[in-house]
Amino acid sequence: MPILETKQLIKTFGGLTAVSEFDIYLNKGELIGLIGPNGAGKTTAFNMLTGVYQPTSGQINFLDESVVGKYPYEITQKGIARTFQNIRLFKDLSVIDNVKIAYHQNVNYSVLDSILQTRKYRQEEKEITEKALEFLKIFKLDHKSQEYAKNLPYGEQRRLEIARALATKPKLVLLDEPAAGMNPQETQELLGLIKWIREYFDLTILLIEHDMSLVMNVCERIYVLDYGKIIAHGTPQEIKINPRVIEAYLGEEVPVC
Amino acid sequence: MRAMDKNRLIVAAGAVALGIILQLLIWNGTLNAYYAQVLTMMSIFVIMATSLNLINGITGQFSLGHAGFAAVGGYFSAIITTRLQLPLPAPMIFTISLLVGGLIAALAGFLIGLPTLRLKGDYLAIATLGFGEIIRVLFLNWKYVGAAAGMWGIPGYTNFIWAYMLAVLTVIFIVHFMNSSHGRACISIREDEIAAETMGINTTKYKVMAFTFGAFFAGVGGAVLGHLIRLLHPATFSMTFSVEILLMVVLGGLGSITGSISAAILLTFVSEALRKFNELRMVIYALMLIGIMLFRPQGLFGRKEFSLDLLTDSRFMFKSSKNRGA
Repeated sequence: MPILETKQLIKTFGGLTAVSEFDIYLNKGELIGLIGPNGAGKTTAFNMLTGVYQPTSGQINFLDESVVGKYPYEITQKGIARTFQNIRLFKDLSVIDNVKIAYHQNVNYSVLDSILQTRKYRQEEKEITEKALEFLKIFKLDHKSQEYAKNLPYGEQRRLEIARALATKPKLVLLDEPAAGMNPQETQELLGLIKWIREYFDLTILLIEHDMSLVMNVCERIYVLDYGKIIAHGTPQEIKINPRVIEAYLGEEVPVC
Repeated sequence: MRAMDKNRLIVAAGAVALGIILQLLIWNGTLNAYYAQVLTMMSIFVIMATSLNLINGITGQFSLGHAGFAAVGGYFSAIITTRLQLPLPAPMIFTISLLVGGLIAALAGFLIGLPTLRLKGDYLAIATLGFGEIIRVLFLNWKYVGAAAGMWGIPGYTNFIWAYMLAVLTVIFIVHFMNSSHGRACISIREDEIAAETMGINTTKYKVMAFTFGAFFAGVGGAVLGHLIRLLHPATFSMTFSVEILLMVVLGGLGSITGSISAAILLTFVSEALRKFNELRMVIYALMLIGIMLFRPQGLFGRKEFSLDLLTDSRFMFKSSKNRGA
């Protein structure tokens, strides 16, 4: 039974159809890639899955429940987390506060508790701080917990963004071009990180990526999107030799006269 | 953690001691009625500035409607103290009137917040500005509260110690709120609304919450002001009033509570000190603001808080409020 399934998902902006015939499914524990040339509609598809855009028509089922029409925060609470193509950290907050904010949905104390600084408030705040620190330790960021997020090097900002997304305790993570702007060595590290979080947190991952080596290396199945449509679907080996994919990426072959 | 608790005690004790000392000085005549009035005004502006900071600085929603909320609070509290003959001792009537004024202002904040908080930046500023004007015009035409003649004969319940205590309570409320998970949710909206939402934060809820709390304290501030000057006139709550409070918040640093407090005290003092040069007053005032914006555009305190922790354990005089966690 797939954990996430979309059926005939369509998004139009005025007269422009950005995504159509978007049918994908993700089984639990899979690592799936979504690739396609620039402007193919990958991020639009992501935005529909996370509730940022409302699909024009079609269905999205997450854990056998429709999430169409839900607000992004509700979808997060249901267990879908995401990162952004252009990193969206809380730049002027400390590293640890970035993670603490992700714990917000699990906080039980009320506003009144915090105003009166009740025992419940102090207890929970202490737990949140400890949990956040522990979490940062897993991602080897604990020694920088008090630094501003904006002062971290690029690779660590990516890592923090992924850590922050995982702190919301998701079942499914959508990574939007995590390797964008990274050098080959950083990409290699990221590769290891993605494989590792999947094991460690028992996750299902959907990955948008331009970096072919990354996608071909880690993904079990790949969907290829072009002009808003899924043009191919299969294992990396199948995708590599699929003529429609090669056409989309490299252009048509000119017949030899 | 220990050192922090100790420092908090010191700050609390200091605030109490300051209040008592000033009140004693007022009683024995060292500080005359004029100074007492200036100190009271300072306290009122601390209430107004910190509560606006909750909306503008902490949650990042640019509001220009604070005068409107203050007017609602002021007028409704004055209705309690003048129009109803409650058979209660004065302090109790005043307390009730402050609460009623604050709550009705909070209700106004909630009602205004729901539709307008979908707007962002400049658009929200214009919408809240419009709201402030609507409130002013409503009171200008409401015969029951004196319409254009203003509301007269309000008992002078406000004195320094009332205003000071309320200012302290406001600051405690806002600081505690800021340091909670709910406060962090508000801060995350300021930092990046889309990211906040993908962190599972109901952004609308927290924006409306900040707006409502801010409006509550603005209403209380307006009520205290009304019972100080003993006359409420719609012209008092014009746009200029909102802008004046906004200046304090920006000057102190958006998002810095200690900044707002300092700026409220400083600007009240400056505007009083310049009373002698009446013609030049606004010019000097404006020049000062231009100077600060040129040399310190993030405000005097930026987003940082002045804190005692630092004096005891760190290299800097200022510490980020957000780093309190560990």
